[in-house]
Amino acid sequence: MPDEPPIERRPQESERPEYPDAAQRPRVGVDTWVAEHGERVQRGPLRRAAERVPGWARLLAFVAVAAVFPIAVDDEYLQRVGVDTLIFMLLAVGLNVVVGYAGLLDLGYIAFFGFGAYTYAIVSSDKYDYHWPAEATIPFILVVTAALGLLLGLPSRRLLGDYLAIVTLFFGQLFVTITNNSTDVKLPFMDRARDLTGGPNGITDLDPIDFAGVELNSVPRYFWFALALFVLVVVALHFVNESRTGRAWRALREDPLAAEAMTMPVNRLKLLAFAFGAAVAGVTGAIFASLQTAVFPQSFDVSLLIILYAMVILGGTGSLAGVALGAIVVNVLLEGLTNTDDTLPVVGETPPRLLFYGLVAVGLALIVRPWRWLAVAAAATIAFGFAARLVAEQWWERGTAGRPSQAGRIGDLVDGWLLFPRDPVDIGNYAFVALIASVLVLTLLRRPWRWIALAPVLYLAAFVWENRLIQEPSVTRFILLGAILVGLMASRPQGLFGTARVEIA
Amino acid sequence: MDVLALTPWDDWSIFIQLCVNGVTLGSVYALIALGYSMVYGILKMLNFAHGDVYMIGSFLGYFMLTSGLDGPMNLAVPIWLALTLVLLVAMLGAGLLGVAIERFAYRPLRNAPRIAPLISALGVSFFLQNSALLLFGANFRTYDAFTLDGGVLFTKGIFEAWGKDDAIALNLPLLNMLVIGGAIVLMILLTLLVARTRLGKAMRATAFDREAAAMMGINPDRVIMATFFIGSALAGAAGVMVGMLFGQVYHFMGFLAGLKGFTAAVVGGIGSIPGAMLGGLLIGMIEAFSTGYLPEGSKFQDFYVFILLIAVMLFRPTGLLGRADIAKV
Amino acid sequence: MSEPERQNEQEGQVERERERVLELRAVSKSFGGLRVLSQLDLVVHDGEIVSVIGPNGAGKTTLFNLITGLYRPDAGDILLEGRSVVGLPPWKITQRGIARTFQTLRLFLNMTVRENVMAAAYGHTKATWLESMLRLPRARREEREIRRLAEEKLGFFGERLVGYRWDQPAYSLSYANRRRLEIARATATRPRVLLLDEPAAGMNPNETLEIAELIGKLRDDGGYTILVIEHDMHVVEGISDRVVALDHGVKIAEGSFDEVATSPRVVEAYLGVRGAKEEAA
Repeated sequence: MPDEPPIERRPQESERPEYPDAAQRPRVGVDTWVAEHGERVQRGPLRRAAERVPGWARLLAFVAVAAVFPIAVDDEYLQRVGVDTLIFMLLAVGLNVVVGYAGLLDLGYIAFFGFGAYTYAIVSSDKYDYHWPAEATIPFILVVTAALGLLLGLPSRRLLGDYLAIVTLFFGQLFVTITNNSTDVKLPFMDRARDLTGGPNGITDLDPIDFAGVELNSVPRYFWFALALFVLVVVALHFVNESRTGRAWRALREDPLAAEAMTMPVNRLKLLAFAFGAAVAGVTGAIFASLQTAVFPQSFDVSLLIILYAMVILGGTGSLAGVALGAIVVNVLLEGLTNTDDTLPVVGETPPRLLFYGLVAVGLALIVRPWRWLAVAAAATIAFGFAARLVAEQWWERGTAGRPSQAGRIGDLVDGWLLFPRDPVDIGNYAFVALIASVLVLTLLRRPWRWIALAPVLYLAAFVWENRLIQEPSVTRFILLGAILVGLMASRPQGLFGTARVEIA
Repeated sequence: MDVLALTPWDDWSIFIQLCVNGVTLGSVYALIALGYSMVYGILKMLNFAHGDVYMIGSFLGYFMLTSGLDGPMNLAVPIWLALTLVLLVAMLGAGLLGVAIERFAYRPLRNAPRIAPLISALGVSFFLQNSALLLFGANFRTYDAFTLDGGVLFTKGIFEAWGKDDAIALNLPLLNMLVIGGAIVLMILLTLLVARTRLGKAMRATAFDREAAAMMGINPDRVIMATFFIGSALAGAAGVMVGMLFGQVYHFMGFLAGLKGFTAAVVGGIGSIPGAMLGGLLIGMIEAFSTGYLPEGSKFQDFYVFILLIAVMLFRPTGLLGRADIAKV
Repeated sequence: MSEPERQNEQEGQVERERERVLELRAVSKSFGGLRVLSQLDLVVHDGEIVSVIGPNGAGKTTLFNLITGLYRPDAGDILLEGRSVVGLPPWKITQRGIARTFQTLRLFLNMTVRENVMAAAYGHTKATWLESMLRLPRARREEREIRRLAEEKLGFFGERLVGYRWDQPAYSLSYANRRRLEIARATATRPRVLLLDEPAAGMNPNETLEIAELIGKLRDDGGYTILVIEHDMHVVEGISDRVVALDHGVKIAEGSFDEVATSPRVVEAYLGVRGAKEEAA
């Protein structure tokens, strides 16, 4: 057998030269402290303390606090904000499966939410005269949205991340187009044109969820229902994430090619992640539809997608607690920025003003080091303001003719300091553009100039806010959210509560 | 609404009309797609804010055209000069905006995780959209470019000789011709720039391998900046053209146009310049023909474009003119 | 040991040696116009360590990519234990018993060391996501098992990858430890054949010796059949039962290390024609 060489077993004793002082040398493994040091630096003391608490205890603590929320807060508006927040938290943990675990950029996620909501509307309203019991509807929606997720995921079997993004984004837009336009549709198999979705007027008068004998007829009941669902979903997702499936998802996110070479059926796992995210979104959609008692196409447009991504990214993708926290922070922020009606009791000011100045202060505190410069900048800004006011009183009469558009303690404070022109809309618009430009320039300036330019820019920000932005709170909040996303990506791409990840291109 | 005509041979004038509409729309999509494709080629990122640059471009066009009016839609200068100037200024403005976006939102993220620039782009898009909403309001701004300068842009003439037979009565405004012509000129210029100039060579080298290009003495930052400028300027031009064609501009118009341009780039093969042109044309044609010949096409144009996208993704994942990369292991 | 017993054992040995675990028949692959591999035949027997050598661009890594299913051969067949694996997706091929490491190191960097190894056990665990979600007995049992498996595989590397390192993210490991972890990860798929792509690349002489020793140990203790690409000729000499030399996608020599190292075509491939002449002179 000439082509089969004999196998020769080799001696296996170590040929590695020993160090002469082997006994004295530190053994491998003594650098534990050094190796762990990196992690200690990355995570602050608060974070580490929080991580010492086991996950179930954190969840329990959250549930305990949340469960009494609707009782403690006897205000329908705040209770409603609470339910909305829970809905966002559910959506965020669902999206986290796709984006955070499996690393797939799914930009059609809102369509699943909408699909769940519309499915609920169709089977629980007079529109088609179906009134299914919720015990059947909710599992049904779970299954059909998961199936839709699988279907949309199918092209992703062959698509790389970026192509997937465009297909899903288009799909999300398609959902809005179809629901908006299916008012008078005659498809080939139909005998006559029909109104399928109600178009922009949507489907109204939906049945409230009546689950296992409990009718959800009040906001607190919706709150508890959503809370129970949230706990269920979080626990289920946590268990899956800890299993071989979850590990495979993470492996796939890290390196799809290596994952496939290590026995993981990458395509199947991607589809599974899609179906998971879709199912969570679908069920959440059902709750949303029933809470609203109506569905409209414009509730499911791309703005919601960006808000949701802001939550997941801000919270730190991949961590259930992180994205849930992100959902709370972003939703409370967005709600607070529009609530110009209520004056908070102790501080005597409306939430938007507090949030705006608070955000500026926090932003500065994060950027400006050392902090004594912060005091200098504040003093300089105040001085700059009085100087500007003095100059304006002499030469620009119109500039001081107005008043703050809203009362409140901060409003009183800035009254004698800021310029308030008559008819501030146009001036405010120009100042807004100038503000964007000057903030951008500020980031380019070198050290001394940056500090010198900071005071006028801060003053300009206050000017724009008080004269223009405060009058359009529902637009302003999105402008701020967009800016926060960009700033966050530049400074902390892992999000506020996430852990930095290492990527090698 | 009933279907216009079931097949082209029912009414040829409709067919030709749809062709003209399709090519017009397609050349606009192609201009937008070029920007996506160029940026993707060089940075391997999807610039979601591109559609909003286009939106700003069309607002610039709107403001210049409506402020240059003297009396009922009479321009103060000859119309050819006015249109050229408006186009150039809008391109400059959009180009500068693109450069600013790159400098402040994407450049700090060159070595960040892959998802970071995408999120940043979503943030920029959201920011621009809502800033436009704040500055320009929620209402559509409308104007009628066809009546500019006594209505010269609405000359029917090009196919009139052919239209002796009344069955072919075409509505063929000069403006459509100008849009198509302008887009073709811009695309030829771009092709020449990429193929012939030093900058074009540097762009191709950087797209191929950024680090290697940097070691060969090419400043990648400058090349990327130039790419963003050119791509955004093309989007700005597209914005002006669409504003004039449809006579309305609004803050949210960039999303859908961006999506279509994006789809065009992917269908044609992202990273490929002729691919972007082909993809744009294809999508324009599909939209136009779907309004004529496909069931409920006027409502569900998007649906048919989506079908095209899925089909291309399934059967030719790298796009029609894209090249498959060999996975390096 | 009595005579007949020895006879028996030798026969057994011969039987085992005969088994062709991995076999390539006339495999060809080109990219565009470039022929990377042409008409390559290769047989790896049970328990053998075969080294593939050749200058850069000879087609060595392509060979690995073909075997593991990342590329599909243009022509020819690849057999594992007599069954063709051509056309199977990579994960299925690995499940059938061919695991590899990567020349460029493709670890799951942000997962812990232990998780990296546990993840690779996906192919031989069965619990569905529903079982995991409900924590049913099979899911829990499997989880315990692969945890133990991972620790055992990591323990193979002695003190290098034990203790606190299990819970550290893979990116915190040194280069040499990353290479070790890749090997541990590959063995966790329970392969019959291990393909090692330049296991000693970037290691210092000390670590290189250690890796060479380890490869022998993988065969003897782990029972794996090993195909290895290596540039370091000392390692190749030390470990190989057989050496295959490739140049421009063609097999130019095969045999024991000494035979291959002295083959004029190999010398020519490495040193060029002039160099080979000088060497001969």
